[in-house]
Amino acid sequence: MSDPGAVGGSVTYQRLVHKNSSGFHYMKVSLVFEKEGKRIDGAFFKQLIISALRNVYGEIGAAFPFDVLKFEEKSLTAVLRVYNSGLVKLWSALTLLGSYQNETCAVRVVQVLLPYQYTGGP
Amino acid sequence: MVRFKSRYLLCEVCVSNPSDLRLLDERAVFFAVKAAVSRAHGDYGTALIGMCFSVKYLNAHTGVVFLRCRKSHYRMLWSALPFISSLESRGQRVPCFFNCLHVGGTIRTCQKFLIRYNTQQLHRLLPRCRSDSELVGYVGFHRAKLHCCRFVVQ
Repeated sequence: MSDPGAVGGSVTYQRLVHKNSSGFHYMKVSLVFEKEGKRIDGAFFKQLIISALRNVYGEIGAAFPFDVLKFEEKSLTAVLRVYNSGLVKLWSALTLLGSYQNETCAVRVVQVLLPYQYTGGP
Repeated sequence: MVRFKSRYLLCEVCVSNPSDLRLLDERAVFFAVKAAVSRAHGDYGTALIGMCFSVKYLNAHTGVVFLRCRKSHYRMLWSALPFISSLESRGQRVPCFFNCLHVGGTIRTCQKFLIRYNTQQLHRLLPRCRSDSELVGYVGFHRAKLHCCRFVVQ
């Protein structure tokens, strides 16, 4: 609901409600290591997420598909795609990830998008 | 009105060597099931089961076990049972598998099922008896099962 009459009214607030019919959610995440300058590749990143899921939810609980659509090695940012039913599990597992192979790291969830919002950019 | 609803899983522990059944005890089953849930469902499953899972009854002669858990996550427990391959008891590893026969809301319904199931098993096995000693063995075994069923509720 935009409010053009407000004081200093260049800030507008808009709320759109959409029912998600496609079934996917897209997450932009960034991986942060405690040690600066660490480099990994896309396969390693996917293995990191799978191990986080397995730790929190076990073999059966982690058995849902997700995809790493884009991964940038320089900035360690990625775009993940997951079904609606797996969003909560994936997000909670990423939040609880603390270390991988004795390296302290964290995953910051930058943005969670619906299909119509995701334009395919980095 | 408002009460805690639970589910009782009636399982049968199947071992290859019948003399290993006497090694069964409640602690061994409890820890084996907890470990299986931890492998299958991770920290989330362990936490849910840790709140309210118990081995209600175990019969070492017949291998019948009653497992109790909350109604909201009995499927998690049920799905982890096929992954149990052995029990650790008194320093020995007993290879076994869990066969879930019935899921009931109360012990009484599980008991009624067990009586019907044992009667059916007896009717199925009796025609295959080849000698009198086998017949006596089967009847004695199933009579022991029925006797134990009646003990559960008391």
